[in-house]
Amino acid sequence: MNATCAPRSTAPATSGVTESLRKPLYNVSGSAEAYEVRIEMPGVPKNGVKIDLEDNILTVRGERTVNVPEGMKALHRELSPLSYLLRLRLNTPVDEDKMNAKLEDGVLILRLPIKEAAKPRQIPVL
Amino acid sequence: MKLIRSTPSSLGRVSDFDEWFRHPFAGLPSLGQFFNNLSEVFPGVPGDRLAVDVHEDKDNYYASFEVPGVKKDDVKIELNNGLLTVSAEKREKNGDNESSFSLTRSVSVPDGVSADGIAAKLEDGILNVTLPKAENRKPRTIALS
Repeated sequence: MNATCAPRSTAPATSGVTESLRKPLYNVSGSAEAYEVRIEMPGVPKNGVKIDLEDNILTVRGERTVNVPEGMKALHRELSPLSYLLRLRLNTPVDEDKMNAKLEDGVLILRLPIKEAAKPRQIPVL
Repeated sequence: MKLIRSTPSSLGRVSDFDEWFRHPFAGLPSLGQFFNNLSEVFPGVPGDRLAVDVHEDKDNYYASFEVPGVKKDDVKIELNNGLLTVSAEKREKNGDNESSFSLTRSVSVPDGVSADGIAAKLEDGILNVTLPKAENRKPRTIALS
């Protein structure tokens, strides 16, 4: 998939253009091995997803493509055309190289493996 | 000179459609109100009704429903007595637990939709239903000879 992970990219300069974005619904679950983040982003195609991890802040953007063909008239509107933005602060270091993401039926599923050093370990008593 | 044929029912068509949408729970206005308020306070709560957009061009009506995380096999579309009902079963896996809940939305379909031609497509969590207008209900121009 087209998700890019730029672990140490320079922060983008704040542009003068104000853009309306909304926070998607999401769910985080986890085990001792990894976190799983599920983000609902209906209407976002694969190439509209951008994932960044920098300074333990995970940023997920989903560009929603609205293609209303010519000559079409809206009779009723409830769906928001706004794109999605979610920022999550991670309090456990994750292994950036082993992160993976897939987009399934409008839901982005991110798997963030926890770094070896941060996993709980058993210390045997001698 | 051109004359555009219109029948009384086709004049009322769009506004009928509109009226229905303002009262999606036409038989149960208080329940509809309740759900509307509920989804404002808890967006996306289970039991929330599906959000829908409706567009029209000269050949078709188009209804788009938001169904993130719903598989193709878990969508049911039914047309009954002029009411298009979409039901989606959403399954969520959380570790070893699996939960599911269903989302439903009914919209009134105007007269003059040819039921046989209704088509649906699921893409990126959006269900698009195309409802073709019957030939004899399309606006037509009559040339004056």
